[in-house]
This record gives sequence, structure tokens and C-alpha cells, in this order.
Amino acid sequence: MDIDDLLAEVAVDSVPRELRDLQELTRCWVAERVAPEILPWPSELMDRVLDRIRRQIELVEDQTGDMNPKTNFKLIIIQTELERFKFLVRSFLRARLNKIDQHPLHIQSLHDASLDMLQPLLSHSEYQYLTSHQSLLAAHYSTSFLGQFPASLQRLDDITGGISMIDKPDEDKAVFVRVLRDIGDIAVEGTDRRFNMKRGDVWVVRWSAVKKWAIGTGTGDLELI
Amino acid sequence: MALPLPPGLTPPEIAFLCEMELVTVIPRQRLEGLELLGGRIKPLNPPHRTNIPLWLALLLKRQRRANILPPAWLNAHSLNAILDHEIEHEDTFSPPPRLPPQPSNNTLPTSPPFLANNTADAAPDALPYHWLELGEMLLEAASDDFEEPDNVRKLLRDLREVRMAKLRKSADVLDAGGGFQMNGVGGMEVGESRSFVTGVIDGLRKIAASREQQRKDREREELENGYSGTAGDYDDDEMDMQ
Repeated sequence: MDIDDLLAEVAVDSVPRELRDLQELTRCWVAERVAPEILPWPSELMDRVLDRIRRQIELVEDQTGDMNPKTNFKLIIIQTELERFKFLVRSFLRARLNKIDQHPLHIQSLHDASLDMLQPLLSHSEYQYLTSHQSLLAAHYSTSFLGQFPASLQRLDDITGGISMIDKPDEDKAVFVRVLRDIGDIAVEGTDRRFNMKRGDVWVVRWSAVKKWAIGTGTGDLELI
Repeated sequence: MALPLPPGLTPPEIAFLCEMELVTVIPRQRLEGLELLGGRIKPLNPPHRTNIPLWLALLLKRQRRANILPPAWLNAHSLNAILDHEIEHEDTFSPPPRLPPQPSNNTLPTSPPFLANNTADAAPDALPYHWLELGEMLLEAASDDFEEPDNVRKLLRDLREVRMAKLRKSADVLDAGGGFQMNGVGGMEVGESRSFVTGVIDGLRKIAASREQQRKDREREELENGYSGTAGDYDDDEMDMQ
């Protein structure tokens, strides 16, 4: 370890919590917009960010009465930044809602399976949205047409006959990734592809082949771009 | 409420990301330090240079409260050198900026837009990840802070054309397995080529899906049985398919 490394270590660890949260949130947003499937809900990060946004809004409300031009300009900066943060959070949540809408039953089963783990797949409100939306849909279908079908054909999640009714996202879709730490050799299952992933590389690969190294779903050695 | 957009970032979203890059400004007015959500902004004291996020720099510039110092790579001299490199090496992009030293294991490494690749004292010999967006935005909002804005604009366009040609040429080597290296690619270039590149890879994969499934099954079987004597047969199959 030479002096550069030592300095870097000090520098990284001294990055303020707020800036690190912004970096993490940005990564989560990009990943959620790009990944073919829904990623685990970053609950601690979101709690911190939402709490900070709430306090900042209170600050803005407190100070808007002040007509002094100097504080006024400060307030403009604060509000501009607040809007940027709100956009990040909103776009992140909407990207997740979109995935929940597309594959509700699949995500519900994944969420149920992830409850024992450290990080559940969905937040509480997302799960609430998923279940109530699903029950509304199911009730609507059954009153409008499903009720007239024979009982054996009424299910929405039939998996008999070798074909599952539950739609899944395509986990083999190609994604762009940036490698954050050296990973080494990667093989794509079912093909002759072998390659070496080094720090700083940008690759186009199947999501399923690199998922276990990605931030959010794995060790955090690479990020989606 | 759900976002009606397909996967992948749109150009405005990429520009939004780019606005988080740090740039160097020379303030013309004092501004007290601010506690923002994304961390503290240091007080601005003219004429001391300070690094601040691009969105704030653009806001200050628009109100004539600061001048922006273009990044070290964004001038005619550096761009000329990079363009020469791009033209000389037909198959690869010019290398990205040197990475900062590896951080300790328990912290997440930073990556663009949070690396200081666009400040006045950054590396002058490499295009950072958000080079195109940043160059365009600075030329539009702060062209009076450049020495030769027209020349820089022309060079950026040349670079873009050379690099787009490389991206288009890369379509020849795409195949179903993916695993395609693109070091040095820019953010906007990823956004532009994403649907094409991933579309080709995914399409080829679907065509070869049944063959791949066969092979996967066979490999699993071999793993269970503990021998690999069928590799030769597999090659024959492949010949027939083509």
C-alpha cells in the first residue's frame, strides 16, 4: 500500500453521508431504469433520503416569508436542488411501479420468498399497491367475463400443462455494465463466451450472467449504466 | 403513475445525470455556504476557484454570478490530440480517464458523474464519460468562457462522427452470447446505441435459444455424470446448423 492508496482511503471515508446517499440513490435510479427485473428496495437509503427531503421542504416553507434578496437567492438554489432530488425519487418509484404493473404475480411470489432475507424486494407501500391493484383487477375480470367460464378455467395463475400463465421478465436481456472492482473470468452459460472483467471496463452482457455481482442484487462489484 | 418508458435512459435523463458532474467556477459574487441535500456547498469567495456541480454552475452563470472554467480536456489542443488518437485506432475508443486509486474494501467505489473528471485540473488527455453532454451544455451556456468556442464545437462534432462510425461498425461483431467490450464509451453514446445493440443481441439469442437450451441441458448432465466426452458431437451439430 503506497501513499496514494492511503490518501484515497482517507478521502473516500471522509465523503459526507449526504453525498454518498446522493451517489447511491443515483445508482439505484439508473439501475432500476435499466435492469430488466425489479431490484430489492433500498429501505435504509430511502428512509434517510425521504427524511432529509421532508426537512428541506420545511426549511423552504419557513424561509419563503423572508424577502431579503440575499436569502432569496439562497432559497432558489435550495429549491432547485430539492426539485432535482424529488425528480430522482419520483422517477425511481415510477420505474418500479411500471415493473410491478407488468409482472405482478411473478413479483408477488418473489417478494414473498424474499421476506426472510435481509432485504425484502418491495417496500411496504409497494406491496400494498400490488395486492390491492391485483385484487381489483381480479374482481373486475371475474365480474366482466371470467365468471362465465367453467370453474377450471377461471384461474389467473395457472401453471398446469407445462405452460405457466405467470409472465416473467426476460432475465437474459443484454445490459450495459461498468465494472467497479476486478471480477475475473465470467462465462455465459450455454455459449462459448468467456471473458475477463477488470475494474473500469464497460461491457454489454446478459443480465443473468452478471446479476450476482451487480449492486443491489449481488456483491456490488459492478453497476448498470 | 407508472413510468411509461422502455428500459434505458432517455437523453434528458442522461443530461440530468451529467449535471451532477463537478466543474470549476470563478465566482464573481460572494455566496455563503449552503447545506444542500447532496452535501455542503463551500462558500464562494471571488476570485477563488471552487468546484461545484454543473447544475449550480449553470444557474450561477445564467445570473452572471460566476464564470465557468472549461475542463482541462475541453480545449482545441487536447481535443485535437484525442481526435488524432481516435482516427489512428480504428477499432477502439480513446481510453477513458485514469481511475482513482482503489478505495478500501468496505466502501463503494465512486464512478461518473461523481469523479472529478471535468474540473479545471482534471486529466487533459482523455474524454470523460459525459464528454458530449458536458461539452454541448457548456458551449451553449458559457461559450464566452472558452478561448475558441467555434473551434471546440467543430472538434466535438468531428469526434462524435468518428466515434459514431466505430459504434456502427461494432454491429458486425455482436452475437447471441453478449460479452462485448466497450471501454471508453460515453454516456450519451450508450443511450443512443442501447436499443440497437441490446436489440441485436437479444434477437440473435432468441434465434439460437433452442440450441443453447440443448447445450445447457447437456452441460448440466455432464456435470452430474462427471465426464465430458460429447464435446466433439456438439461441434458437428453446430456445422449442420450453419
